[in-house]
Amino acid sequence: MSTVELATSQPGTVLPGITAAFTRGALVRYAGASTDFNPIHWSDRAAADLGLPGVIAHGMLTMGTALRVVTDWCGDPARVLSYYVRFTRPVVVPDDDEGATVSLGGTVTKVDDGVATVSIEALFDGVKVLGAATAEVRLD
Amino acid sequence: MRRTRARTNLSPMITDSHIGRTYPATDPYVVSAAKVAEFADALGDAANPAYAGPDAVAPPTFAVVLSSAAWGAMFDDPELELSLSRTVHTDQRFTWRRPLRVGDQVTATLTIEKFRARGSSAFITIVVGLDDADGERVCDATSTLLHTWPEEIA
Repeated sequence: MSTVELATSQPGTVLPGITAAFTRGALVRYAGASTDFNPIHWSDRAAADLGLPGVIAHGMLTMGTALRVVTDWCGDPARVLSYYVRFTRPVVVPDDDEGATVSLGGTVTKVDDGVATVSIEALFDGVKVLGAATAEVRLD
Repeated sequence: MRRTRARTNLSPMITDSHIGRTYPATDPYVVSAAKVAEFADALGDAANPAYAGPDAVAPPTFAVVLSSAAWGAMFDDPELELSLSRTVHTDQRFTWRRPLRVGDQVTATLTIEKFRARGSSAFITIVVGLDDADGERVCDATSTLLHTWPEEIA
């Protein structure tokens, strides 16, 4: 989005949503990229030991992917000033070709002094997996 | 499965007295074009031009690669009796003064900010400051971790 369009953002502006499919392969790729090799993200046995229903996605994978809603919209990742999420529910990733599909969206909730606050929503199976997810984005 | 517990005191070994404890900075980490591209790809964002070329920035949450490198110092602190495998990441905040860029040489310094015990568990809030080669703060990464100490299962 151009700077001119960004500058007209108002509370209520809805950002284009995206969907992301987390497969087991995607988790392995994120493990390597992030250096988070916790086995609950690749071993059913390790996940079961912790009482999880199966391998779960890295919370940081969900967090990082959800921010694409904001960076796609504002065009420049350098505009992102802050980002907060609570990891409220795990995203369980089956060992199949489809993986787990997460729907991501965002809405501007505040514009103040050239900074937009964006509330981000991440849904898996219709349930929120990120709580209070909020990014601050420089508009000018 | 039966688990036994070595110590009888149920309260965690980390206490309020550890609030404010800061560990030595990590060795400098140089942000490479290859690692930035790998991370962007892992987020499904390989096509984003911001993450490629001579002026590439890192995806914002790439900061976790650097901040989590500082966690080891705390988990290795024998006083605290923490184990990464008993830790759940419950929330995360990043504040950036500027984006991380390819070529940045970054150190990460962890400070224990808050501690709240709840039975044999505790919420531990840590702040990892990321500084560039000039000592300028680039990013603060604040994480709340829920740690559970083993209990005897009869």
